[in-house]
Amino acid sequence: MGTGMDMRETVMKKNIEKKIHATRKIVRIFLCAGLCLLASAGLKAQTVPLYTRWVNYTQANGFPPGEVFCVTVDGDRVWAGTEHGLVLIEQGHIKKIFTTKDGLVSNVIMGVAVDHKSGDVWIAAFGGASVYSGGQFRNYTSMSSGLANDLVYAAAVQGEYIWLGTAAGASRLDTRDGSWTIFNETNAPFNEPWVYSLAVTPGKVYIGAWGGGVVAYDLAHHTWRPYTDPDGEMEIVLYRNQGLIHNIVSSVVYNADTKMFWASTYFGLSGYDGRNWHNYLTKDSGLASNFVNAVRSRGNAVWACTQDGLSELDYAHNAWVTYRPNSKTGRGEILMTAPDGKQRRLTTPTAPAHNYILSMDFQGEDIWVATAQGLSHGIPERNATKISNAEKIKEKSHESKRD
Amino acid sequence: MSTALAFSLRRKMLMSAAFALVAALLLQELWHGTQTAAAASSPTPAGHPLPYLSPVAMQISPDGRWLYVVCQDGDRVLAVDLRTRQVVRQMSVGHRPGGIAVSDDGHTLYVTSEWQDEVDVIDADHFTVLRKLATGAGPAGVALDRTGKTLYVANTLSDDVSLLDLATGTERKRLVAGRFPEYVTASRDGRFLYVSNLLVRGPADQPPVSELTVIDAAQQTIAARVAIPGVIQMRTIAEMPTNAGGALLVPFMRPKNLNPLVQIHQGWYLTHGMAVIEPPHAEARSSQKFRVTEVLLDGLNQSYADGFGAVVSPDGRWALVTASGADVVSVINTAKLNAIVHATPAAQFELTADRLDLSSEFVAQRLQTGKNPTAVVVAPDGKTAYIANRMDDTVSVVNLGTMQMEAPIDLGGPKSVTRLRHGAQLFYSARYCQQGQMACATCHPHGGLSDGLAWSLETPQLGRDVVENKTLLGIDGTAPFKWNGKNPNLETQDGPRTAAYIFRSQGFNKSEVEDLAGFILALRLPPGPHQSNKGQLTDAQARGRAIFYRTRTNTGALIPPQKRCYFCHSPYTHYTSRVLMNVGTATRYDTIQAFDVPQLEGVAMKPPYLHNGEAQSLEEIWTLFNPQDEHGVTSDMDKVQLNDLIEYLKTM
Repeated sequence: MGTGMDMRETVMKKNIEKKIHATRKIVRIFLCAGLCLLASAGLKAQTVPLYTRWVNYTQANGFPPGEVFCVTVDGDRVWAGTEHGLVLIEQGHIKKIFTTKDGLVSNVIMGVAVDHKSGDVWIAAFGGASVYSGGQFRNYTSMSSGLANDLVYAAAVQGEYIWLGTAAGASRLDTRDGSWTIFNETNAPFNEPWVYSLAVTPGKVYIGAWGGGVVAYDLAHHTWRPYTDPDGEMEIVLYRNQGLIHNIVSSVVYNADTKMFWASTYFGLSGYDGRNWHNYLTKDSGLASNFVNAVRSRGNAVWACTQDGLSELDYAHNAWVTYRPNSKTGRGEILMTAPDGKQRRLTTPTAPAHNYILSMDFQGEDIWVATAQGLSHGIPERNATKISNAEKIKEKSHESKRD
Repeated sequence: MSTALAFSLRRKMLMSAAFALVAALLLQELWHGTQTAAAASSPTPAGHPLPYLSPVAMQISPDGRWLYVVCQDGDRVLAVDLRTRQVVRQMSVGHRPGGIAVSDDGHTLYVTSEWQDEVDVIDADHFTVLRKLATGAGPAGVALDRTGKTLYVANTLSDDVSLLDLATGTERKRLVAGRFPEYVTASRDGRFLYVSNLLVRGPADQPPVSELTVIDAAQQTIAARVAIPGVIQMRTIAEMPTNAGGALLVPFMRPKNLNPLVQIHQGWYLTHGMAVIEPPHAEARSSQKFRVTEVLLDGLNQSYADGFGAVVSPDGRWALVTASGADVVSVINTAKLNAIVHATPAAQFELTADRLDLSSEFVAQRLQTGKNPTAVVVAPDGKTAYIANRMDDTVSVVNLGTMQMEAPIDLGGPKSVTRLRHGAQLFYSARYCQQGQMACATCHPHGGLSDGLAWSLETPQLGRDVVENKTLLGIDGTAPFKWNGKNPNLETQDGPRTAAYIFRSQGFNKSEVEDLAGFILALRLPPGPHQSNKGQLTDAQARGRAIFYRTRTNTGALIPPQKRCYFCHSPYTHYTSRVLMNVGTATRYDTIQAFDVPQLEGVAMKPPYLHNGEAQSLEEIWTLFNPQDEHGVTSDMDKVQLNDLIEYLKTM
């Protein structure tokens, strides 16, 4: 009997253990599945395409020599402003290089803005402004129109208004009645009215001024707000996130996704979320150089066009990637910097045309980059080969940690 | 109330009504007669003009039953029943209507009011205004896109095209056109809107280049700006059907304004013709792909001045182009025209553009119309064409089967002709000029504008004293005339000077000169798009006004009176001092140094500027052509101040 009871107890215990085991197994499976989901969600947030393939347009293949000052994507078309004219690229081919012989106001092209309402292309140039419309150019200079100055650095479209950034303030053309308005130190808080950059949002126009910081114009209330070095001394912040990092602003851009504006300066990169400043220097980030010619931003990505490469900041995760050519090998170099400062280098067969980057723009997931020696088309890794920067860096922690 | 009393009251009311009607008719006749008599007995027009109609635009309903006629001076739209050829309905619309479009279902009309900056949306069945849509400044031509959802309006004064969303009644956007866009039409395939521009932009010392503005209907963006070299005054656009080649036909004037007026060879100093514009294949439309050929409608010894209306028969066999100054419609054999065009090498329009012998090869008929034919339309069945005659309020009827004129349609305008109306008829007629080459309206289109060109007019030294053509709008009280001030009055200009130097003919007789001068002096400026709202100047305009009347420079130095804006441009005399002034603008090509001070009213619509038209914008008057502060003291001003001054000037 006793033996029979023991056997029953043993069987019951085994059954119970089996059930517990099965239950634990199910729980583990669910836990694993949950972790996988969480992990995949996390990975998705961190996934940033790496640009491993570069197609360059240089003097060698018919592109004008010298610096490319700007690049603007207009659907399938790409406009590039050079020292020797305005280049139109379609389907990967140089379709036309417009010069003064075609009616352009000048051959030195600093900025391009597309008016999607009309299809017109506005061109900022050293010599005035042009609009390319229906295959014809129409020009505006300070002699023939109300344009403030003929050194025009930037163009932007705001509804019926065309904004032009000049060396003597921002000019605004009302295309409906032809009237011009000039904003300079006499009627707006410009510490210095040398306008390098313009960014239009539904509610504001941000003006980046060389030496004048960022000046925001409220479209509804017609009021101004300057953003400059907070203590007014030395044009540069004393503490990291104290304010705009420096008054010499080369570019300003507004990111509608994060509702932040970003300003590139010759002494670092600044972002402002409406409450706090977020500043970056090479010493405490993966920014390639403090000398930043231009900034672009969308989603969580902030792109800094520096004198030593194109740096991309994953703002949400504080991870950086910099693209530039290796001066010794001529191959491409990708430098990834994790939030903790650890770095990893990758090598690619192709590279941007030059490490001195002046501007960039997006074409879907592709990017177009203006450099000191040609235009570069950056093509990301396709299909399932997208790389999570943070994960990759974590997996291969043998790389050096920056100082 | 008793039945008898009610009957009595009703009878009294009926009698009163009848009496009132008779009285009104008598008064109208008395007023009518007084006006005619007053005009006939007075050397200058007096009183209000009679309600002449002056038809300038037409459309036929899709079912072919109704002819809608837009009457510019009558401020109304008429409906002619084409079965009876009688006006059966009419209604008032906004001031100075100029264009009309009809919905595909025929139930809605869209009529522009050029001087009210709006479109009247009209119920075609009941002839009532449904609503009014705001446009840009000076709306003239109007067209619907293929979907019927967007209305395109050519705004002459704001140089753009309004895209009106008919669902909301609001303006969706404006697209910049060329200069003075006057006509817009949708392409047959519905993919494009074509806009013709009356005037040109560009330096006055170069041959003009006109623009055909092409709008992508799907994208609602500018698709192309097609350059039409050497011509101005692009008018109505007619598109041939695909089976006839699909080209656009656009009447134009081809000036040779930089040649001395004595030139006779190859058409004297202006000719009339049309552009034949072949759109590229559908897959590759761009400005580079449009092929332009220019042909003249003038003959070797006879001009057909002032092309205006154009239409192509539904079968594409015939094109009709009205010569509004010649009272003629030219009927063109499109097959022969196409043969000439295709025999011309691409982009070598010069080969045909000056040939006066070519028109005899493709013009099948020259038919006499009423006075000053403008718009022309063809019935959907292709059997009949109708031509609006602005200066006699009739519609000419062309039987396209026999190529004969049928009895015209009387639109019901006054039958008597006042001296003012007579002056208008003279203004638009080219028959007083040698070989019928030009009318006053040829160089002063759209009711008296400047054509914006600099002309090498009469001078003892050929090629010198090239002068910009002046506007005729709002010039009453601004004598003397001409840049050298040698016309103390219009009678001098319109009489012997026109006869001797412009028309090279006997010109007008004394009575005709008086009527013509009276008409011209009665021309008024349209409401300006820059004029301040309810008399309130904008901040910039107010600052500009202070600069206009300033007496001291920015540094406080006293400005000599003769160098203040208002000294020469006196507000008491239409902003002119009516004397000659030397403001340092003479060049080595001028034989005089001082010029008539132009009035500033309507200055915004009068580029180019200065006596020789060398300033293409108001800014250039001071930025380029006032280096010594002789044309007012302006060198101390910055760009903000100059912009403000210009904004004020635009309000005049």
